[in-house]
Amino acid sequence: MARGRWKVAWAVAALVLIGSACSGGDGDGQATGETKEPIVIGASLPLTGEFSQPGGAAKRGYDVWVELVNEKGGILGRPVRLTVLDDASEQNTVVADYNRLITRDKVDLLLGTFSSLLNLPASATAEKNRMLYVEPAGGAPALFERGFRYLFFAQQATAPHQADVFVDWINSLPAGQQPKTAAYPTQDDPFAKPVIDTMRKALEQAGVKTVYSTTYPPETANFDTIANAIKARNPDLVAQGAVFEDGVGLVRSLVKVGFSPQTLFQTSAPSNSDQYAKGVGEANTEGVFYTVSWSPEATYPLNQEFVQRYQQKFNQVPEEDAADAFAAAQVLQAAAEAVGAIDQDKMADWLHANQVDTILGPLRWDQTGAPQSDFLLAQWQSGKSEIVLPKDVATTDSVVLPKPDWKTS
Amino acid sequence: MTHATETLILGLLAGGVYALLAAGLTLIFGVMGIINVAQGALLVLAALLTFELWRRLGLDPIAAAVVTTPVMFAVGWAIYRLFVARIRTAPVSMSVLLMFALAITIEGAMGLIWKNVFRSVTPGYFSQSFHLGAFFFPKAQVFGCLAAAVVLAGLWLLLTRSWAGRAIRAASQNPQGSALVGVDIHGVAALTFAIGVATTGAGGSILSVLYTLFPASHYLWISRLLGIVVLGGMGSLPGAVAGALILGVAEAFTATYVSTRWATAVFYVVILAILLVRPQGLMGSRLRGDVVT
Amino acid sequence: MTGAGGLRRAAIALGGLALVAYPLVRLDDAYGQSVLIFAFLLAIMAGGWNIMAGFTGYVSIGQSAFLGIGAYTVALLSLRTGVSPLLLAPVGGVAAALVAAVLGATVMRAREHAFVIITIALLFLFQTLALNLEGITGGSNGLTLPLPTWDRDIQNLPFYYVMLGLLALSVLLSWWIRRTKFGMGLIAIREDEDKAAAIGVRTSAYKVLSFVASAVLIGVAGGVYAYFLTFIDPRGMFDILVSVQLVLAALVGGRGTIWGPVLGAFVVVPLNEVTNSLAAAEGLHLFAFGLALGAVVMFLPHGLIPTVQAWWSRRHQRQVPWERRGPATTVERAATAAVEPGRALLEVDGLAKRFGGVAAVDVCSFTVREGGLTGLIGPNGSGKTTTFNLVTGMVRCDSGSIRFDGRRVDRVLPWERAHLGLGRTFQVTRLFPRMTVLENLVAPLRTFSWPNLAADAVSGPEAQRAEELLDFVGLLPLAGQPAGQLSFGQQKLAELAQVLMLEPRLVLLDEPAGGVNPGMIQRIAELILELNRRGITFLIVEHNMPMVLELCDPILVMARGRVIAEGPPGAIQRDPVVLDAYLGEGWGKDSRPSGAPSRGSPDPSAPVEV
Repeated sequence: MARGRWKVAWAVAALVLIGSACSGGDGDGQATGETKEPIVIGASLPLTGEFSQPGGAAKRGYDVWVELVNEKGGILGRPVRLTVLDDASEQNTVVADYNRLITRDKVDLLLGTFSSLLNLPASATAEKNRMLYVEPAGGAPALFERGFRYLFFAQQATAPHQADVFVDWINSLPAGQQPKTAAYPTQDDPFAKPVIDTMRKALEQAGVKTVYSTTYPPETANFDTIANAIKARNPDLVAQGAVFEDGVGLVRSLVKVGFSPQTLFQTSAPSNSDQYAKGVGEANTEGVFYTVSWSPEATYPLNQEFVQRYQQKFNQVPEEDAADAFAAAQVLQAAAEAVGAIDQDKMADWLHANQVDTILGPLRWDQTGAPQSDFLLAQWQSGKSEIVLPKDVATTDSVVLPKPDWKTS
Repeated sequence: MTHATETLILGLLAGGVYALLAAGLTLIFGVMGIINVAQGALLVLAALLTFELWRRLGLDPIAAAVVTTPVMFAVGWAIYRLFVARIRTAPVSMSVLLMFALAITIEGAMGLIWKNVFRSVTPGYFSQSFHLGAFFFPKAQVFGCLAAAVVLAGLWLLLTRSWAGRAIRAASQNPQGSALVGVDIHGVAALTFAIGVATTGAGGSILSVLYTLFPASHYLWISRLLGIVVLGGMGSLPGAVAGALILGVAEAFTATYVSTRWATAVFYVVILAILLVRPQGLMGSRLRGDVVT
Repeated sequence: MTGAGGLRRAAIALGGLALVAYPLVRLDDAYGQSVLIFAFLLAIMAGGWNIMAGFTGYVSIGQSAFLGIGAYTVALLSLRTGVSPLLLAPVGGVAAALVAAVLGATVMRAREHAFVIITIALLFLFQTLALNLEGITGGSNGLTLPLPTWDRDIQNLPFYYVMLGLLALSVLLSWWIRRTKFGMGLIAIREDEDKAAAIGVRTSAYKVLSFVASAVLIGVAGGVYAYFLTFIDPRGMFDILVSVQLVLAALVGGRGTIWGPVLGAFVVVPLNEVTNSLAAAEGLHLFAFGLALGAVVMFLPHGLIPTVQAWWSRRHQRQVPWERRGPATTVERAATAAVEPGRALLEVDGLAKRFGGVAAVDVCSFTVREGGLTGLIGPNGSGKTTTFNLVTGMVRCDSGSIRFDGRRVDRVLPWERAHLGLGRTFQVTRLFPRMTVLENLVAPLRTFSWPNLAADAVSGPEAQRAEELLDFVGLLPLAGQPAGQLSFGQQKLAELAQVLMLEPRLVLLDEPAGGVNPGMIQRIAELILELNRRGITFLIVEHNMPMVLELCDPILVMARGRVIAEGPPGAIQRDPVVLDAYLGEGWGKDSRPSGAPSRGSPDPSAPVEV
């Protein structure tokens, strides 16, 4: 009995010592003054697990950016190298990953991960270490309520304001075309829910009556009961806080139930073009509104180059998540080039005071790192996604209203 | 009133499909005393297989059950021989852990093969409904329910009319006695497990049309199935059907009249309440009461 | 043994020192520190789980719920009061303990497989509650805590040392429980819950206490962990994969050992890190994890430490001396209650029990008088063992009454009957095979009280008393052996000694001579006589007629579920009803007493063959 425990203690001690030896300074040293030393950028992404789909897209976006940047001479004359770790969509792993990138690998710069749930603890780690943290996909309000100095969100607006552009558009319609009643089903998701909550309050203030409102858990798979309830109330507008499969699921249920609202708005889901069209049936996409941070047709600087290179490398049209990642990297690059050095504090200060042109459009931030622009309002028309607003990048002049009935052939 | 009736209809249709899904689970427990928490993962696997068949061959998903059922039978047989047979004599908790490990492994494998991309199978009728007066009956649900009923009926016949079925029932009631009268207990156990997993074949195919698929969704399914089987009585096939219908309706009503957020909680509450108050469920048999606590 | 023990202590001290010194030596390695913090956390959770599943035998796959409960409690309190979560962490432990107590009280009625399912359902239910009760918990948005206020250079150190301290506490708690009477009772419950109840272990209370003990430190750790992450949400805090991870850690290290969970955690966490950095393919991490768990369950179910120990003891087998013993040494003990010979101690009236269509006991009535040695004989299937089960409470009677010492007990739980002074041995001995003989003797509980539960089982008055009783039955040299390794006859003696720990007034012996050689029968009979002389009443079921006729007076005869005859040995031998039902026509013609002494004093010089 004694010997067994003896072995245990030795094993523990050995493990600890081996562990410390392994983690002993083989991180990349940061060479000072040498101009040809690469700039190492570290990021963690959910390459596996719950968020692996957008995580994978984000990685591809980062990869394209690295390629384009290095072709143009890198940043500040130095080539760029990207290290990506997998956090498996787990919070404790993302904390360990960023700790490792910062203290062991000693990277020069950081880029953020995907999803507010992961960016929340990760940004805290970066803030503790006073490193700039530009993230492509985490717009939940909680991120910006902590008074962080080094955090920046690389999309046009935080979650609550994502649909402002749509609300503005509704308010701009002539009275006869405005919806009188609305239903707001939303997933219990820290990104989708604030969008719908803000929209609902804004529209209520504008006089649109809320006839139905519900929050459903993310694993909800069958939307027949919700669709049934919506049908019973007959709203003019249905605005859903969807992530993806729930967006598809609700449309399918609405088709089954036989109810088609005059206007249908969904977050996120309709932006996954191929899968969305396959999921709901191409004819049923007609007239669906959504807001999105990026469009492949937008004429913002570098966007077309991005799209072409992405298609070349990966044989598909880029996803929105990939574009957001590209934009985040652009922000980082802009700050570094403007300041002229890799200085976390100066870069953060510069970003607070300036605007950056990205493939999503111009981005600027307030003191908490929350961006201050507007999303793009898009609509499916004739089997294609078209940008309706803002006008300077709109791909169509017309809007489909009311939404046509479902095709159940 | 129409709304409530429609909710009832939807609940019953959902329950009908749940019944098939739960049948395999309760059969395995009844005969072998093993709680197969991997049943949810196997369901999703079968559903993804159906998706592949539909995508590559254009095979109608519900008809695909004809293919997936034997495939899952073989999978179940293999799982039994490789893994379950080893732990037959282990305590219950160990078998649950092993089945859990299996579930996670299958989830990982599905992630590797199909990626964590949401899939849905969309044959022509998937968004159509039959209409009867003010009520609508979604076609996919109706076909699914009918298919489930057919498979369940087949299972019932198998258990009551065939020699294999009688052997299975004998083994579940008295393993030693059955061995004495010539029943190959290990063979029966393997057969039962394989049949139980085979039901996920048909069930998974039906599932693929009604719900979107995602490797991690097996937790939700096993929670549902456990609730149903516990309510109906572990080991009782009629109990599984009754439990499935009751819980399908309860879920639908909770989703409609309370909130969709509390709909899955119904299953957890049922599990707790039944196991504490009436552990044998509605139709499970009360074991010889040698035990008093 | 002190040499090896000293070496072990030194090794543990060295390991502990290394862990304490590590962050001071490598101050800037926040990554290494964070990995170790996760390892400590997992070890604490696995250790808690081990108390419930390893010691008590109730496996939970929802243990991580207590992490979430602790985390949310502390986070909410901290956000409302502004006090640092580190200071509030103990409150998380209190919350977890309270929840465990309430849950335990309701859930402990369930047995093994039901318990496992219940814990899974509870975990998911808590997650749903945390998601839906947004007003309190923030729902899916989670809760964010402010960053720690201390200097960034020592960022992780406070977390590191607090977690290490909690880990030390966790190991200490396990170690302490293991050596108390309470711990013996827990293991008894794991090995054989009904037998545990029969020897006075108040199973329901024990299980609740064990559940609370398994939860409390996890709750405290939850509070600390929340502060470390600065953000908690329902999915992260009530994660079933974390539950499975801690189970894997405990299994790998060795379920039921003290250091097993710690070792397991230090294996699982680094492995996790390695697979994370290697795995670029989606799902590989889960796949590997599932395989690891499956492999451990199938091939290493006992874990590393017990497997190594078993291998070691196979390599170094020792002979345990077991020599023939002289007579039983009598140690005078003050009688606990006055023995009134002749008074009715056990009164059974109209007892009935059916199993389906079979009436095992059918309106059975009899009385056992104090101070006597009453025999109970009858053919197989006459209901003797069922009667024993009914009297001791293992089975509930359908009708009829049972009175013990004037008090009605037919609705009283088995452990309480044991506390009243009713003991029983089994036809096929039911010792706890993986506990030592000494531990088996310390497990019985005479009365339920806190000092009693906390009594040291390894040394101290309880252990002393156990050794005395072992000496009395002649098994003292075997005190340190696992009970499962004793011969059948030795087990009978041990079980008798075990029952005596209860200081019973009445002992029901179920076939004490069954399957035992004549020399041992004589020994057992001597012991019974000696104990009877000291005031213990016996009711003995036996088929060994010579022994019964020599020892017992009166003798009850049961057939088909009821008592058909009662009387002194002489009368019973000649009673035609008894001859017809049981003894057979040829009885008495040429029977000879074999082995059993008369009711005089035992022969001191008779050797005992075992």
